[in-house]
Amino acid sequence: MMDNAIEIKGLSKAYKGFALEDVTLAAPSGHIMGLIGPNGAGKTTIVKLIMNLIRRDAGEIRLFGLDNRRCEAEVKSRIGFVYDAPRFPEDLRLDTIASALSAFYDRWDEVRFKELLKEFCLPPRQAFKKLSHGMKMKFSLALALAHQADLILMDEPTAGLDPVFRFELLNRLQALIQSERKTVFFSSHITTDLERVADFVTFVHKGRIVFSAAKDSVLESWGVVRAKSDKLRPEDVPEARGHRRTEHSLEVLTSDLAAAGRLLGDRAVCDRASLEDIMFFVSKGNGHA
Amino acid sequence: MLKILRLEFLFNRRQLFIVLAVFSAYFAYMAGRIASPRLFIVMTSVMVGLSMPFVILGREDKFKTAALVCSLPVRRSTYVLGKYAATWIAIGLGLGYALLLTAALPFSKIAVSEVLGLKTILVSVFLISLIFSVILPFTLRFGFTGVIILLVGTQLLGIVALFIAQLVRVPNNPLRIVLQAVEKGLKTLLHHEPTPGFLLALLAAILALNAFSIFVGWALYARRDL
Repeated sequence: MMDNAIEIKGLSKAYKGFALEDVTLAAPSGHIMGLIGPNGAGKTTIVKLIMNLIRRDAGEIRLFGLDNRRCEAEVKSRIGFVYDAPRFPEDLRLDTIASALSAFYDRWDEVRFKELLKEFCLPPRQAFKKLSHGMKMKFSLALALAHQADLILMDEPTAGLDPVFRFELLNRLQALIQSERKTVFFSSHITTDLERVADFVTFVHKGRIVFSAAKDSVLESWGVVRAKSDKLRPEDVPEARGHRRTEHSLEVLTSDLAAAGRLLGDRAVCDRASLEDIMFFVSKGNGHA
Repeated sequence: MLKILRLEFLFNRRQLFIVLAVFSAYFAYMAGRIASPRLFIVMTSVMVGLSMPFVILGREDKFKTAALVCSLPVRRSTYVLGKYAATWIAIGLGLGYALLLTAALPFSKIAVSEVLGLKTILVSVFLISLIFSVILPFTLRFGFTGVIILLVGTQLLGIVALFIAQLVRVPNNPLRIVLQAVEKGLKTLLHHEPTPGFLLALLAAILALNAFSIFVGWALYARRDL
């Protein structure tokens, strides 16, 4: 049986104008899970709740089988956390920041940290403020990896990075999984990043989980059905999850591509949906319940 | 908690030394000007009580490092305790430096015995505690914006109270009563003989103030969303 690095059950958090409701998901150990959703969907809220940076209204979060509040120090010592915008005192040097933080981790590996800095071309005596956004993210990642965390938790790590940096980062994450059996959980609204590296995908929209499943099974079962407007209605498509009308055609997102193909036959063209299609149709294209 | 203290030192050491350098000039000037040890104690306490915590808390507010520290393997209660300890160490450093400097300067108008006595030190620590124990929990929970709102709000309340008192012409103006009580309290504090009973009471008051402030800080910080 697969053990889970992250288990979330019935998680809720309400803000004025936004509510995360009944979020349930599980991220298996040794895999990459991507948390996807449009801006304001609740991704950062979930990540912050996992880190106990904000208070939950209801629900349970277990990391490595331990409650994230009762065993806060123990679980956090096994997490490498990377923020969307790293928050370190800007005027300090990288080695000073690392020295201040390393004391908190029993498994801190100074040799590895120095190797990572070299690998990422980060001068240890450089002030943090002099780094570019990409370099800052690399430094955060180096800190997260240097204490041999079992779970790398990242909030929008690829946002604002150029394609070269993004590619490097994603490769690094994949290498981690292959060589060290770490678990990676990261939020992103860049669907191509997730398609490239994620084993599991959780899609959150308006504070609710739309699905949380293996990426391959999502890409196999979800599809887009296209037909002329006069030949198809959205309600004709089984498991329709959203649709979009153009002047002459109708496109419907379904979560059961095989059933749609069997039922509609030649009336429509059925294609597999990308994560981008799914995100677009559910969030913008007249989403269905 | 030692890890938190080390982190605070590494994150703030440069700024603390800059403040100490500014203190050198400030207290050298004040020691040559002020002849009243009581006035000097009050001014020093206010200066140290505000500047040292503000260095530490101001940088945390500026760089939003609270979320960083809370993502480390420490409980929030430990973090709050560490913050209090770090700030008190910084205050102790500032106060000790200011008093030693004043005592050591050849042109100082205040005698060494007046500055480095047990009563002087306890009175200073008590006055600093009064400022610090209110400001720190507020800053921890609401950041600097919260403190500014608190200070501005208090001033506005004072203005409103003053205005109402003038308007209705109350014979015993409550605001004046409060201010007179504060003045009386301060005078008692500064003029009282340093008897063992008085010093013990002062020490107890310092401990009680800080303990209460820490409990409030814990309760407020536990509710903070970062």
